[in-house]
Amino acid sequence: MSASHPPGEQESSSNESGDVLQLPMAPRATDIALHELEIVYAFIYARVGNRADAEDLTQQVALKAIPRLREGAAASAIRGYLFATARSVLGGFWSTRLGLSEAELHEDLALAVPPTPPSEERADTVQRILAELSDNYRRVLELRFLHGYSLKEVAAEMHSTVGAVKVMQLRALRAAAKVKME
Amino acid sequence: MNKPENRVDKIVSDLLHGRRLKLRGGDAEEKAAITAAARLVAARQGPQRMNPAFRKRLEQALESAPTAPWLTRRAALVAGFGLAAGAVTGGLLSRVMEPDVVATRVAGGDPIDPIPGRWVDVAAMSDLVEGQGQRVAAGSVSAFVFRRGDSVTAVSSICSHLPCQLWWDGGHGLLECPCHPASFTPQGISTDKTYPLPALNTVHVRITPAGRVEVLGTD
Repeated sequence: MSASHPPGEQESSSNESGDVLQLPMAPRATDIALHELEIVYAFIYARVGNRADAEDLTQQVALKAIPRLREGAAASAIRGYLFATARSVLGGFWSTRLGLSEAELHEDLALAVPPTPPSEERADTVQRILAELSDNYRRVLELRFLHGYSLKEVAAEMHSTVGAVKVMQLRALRAAAKVKME
Repeated sequence: MNKPENRVDKIVSDLLHGRRLKLRGGDAEEKAAITAAARLVAARQGPQRMNPAFRKRLEQALESAPTAPWLTRRAALVAGFGLAAGAVTGGLLSRVMEPDVVATRVAGGDPIDPIPGRWVDVAAMSDLVEGQGQRVAAGSVSAFVFRRGDSVTAVSSICSHLPCQLWWDGGHGLLECPCHPASFTPQGISTDKTYPLPALNTVHVRITPAGRVEVLGTD
């Protein structure tokens, strides 16, 4: 990496009258990457659904990618590299945890780089998924995932048994997996 | 507890309580349901930002992380890392072999020059189908060879991004990486225009007077 100033430090030079001119410095690739990692984190979290795994995976991405960034690289190039690394890390995560070959995960890795930070529009993703499901499947996922009901509570609400609700939940999740989420 | 609905419900409960994904090999059959559950939990919570404490830890980790020197696959091979070692030390290799994508890389990868190298008979010229990749192994050097008329070319069969074994997609005429969406031409050039990977290493190949194809590999 080329020499650079610490974040926020400004390069200074003197003019003829002795006044100090504050010249803005281009941000370091590492600083750009740290900013972009917020988006990477949201991207990863949206796929693993929990903070601990999302933090581990984001750190893996950072430690893999950032030392290899070239100073002066465009933010878009840095983002592209970070997301390419994130895809690899996510692929490794699922293949390791599920014992799948990486070839089986190919479709999971074909994820586009988000052009902008995730917006609040994503918040209605659940509703869009649920809208595609049959009434029973939608109901069980609504109660379980949106209202945080236990299985027993869902069973009582749906006048069913815990065992039947478990099976319905599994089938509903399989159906939800087929709904295009992007 | 071994029934899939029980396993998936355990995972759902963990996710709803903010716990990690604790998966086992047998859960692969329910991969679609598990990933859907993870996405539903995440979507319910909306876009997440990094916790400030985590961000601070991340910055500290980056400051203390050594900047590993670039290690080419050629160097890895010369240093004694074979394919088997690559599998064992995948984490290490994936770390040091990450491409400096942002930096400019020369198209047409460096040749693999194993030391000591040995010419290994891999096929008969007549066995190769015009324009179709044929995977061969010459000791620790694994390659795809391509016949073009009376000549033969060869490139490494290991992706230039992660140490994954490429496969030949005859329909599209490309080498595909199973580890991420990346593909290469028979000349080893990355097909992705927006995120071009380094070119695959070339592999020395020759045709003997007897019509045999030999690749420069290792014992």
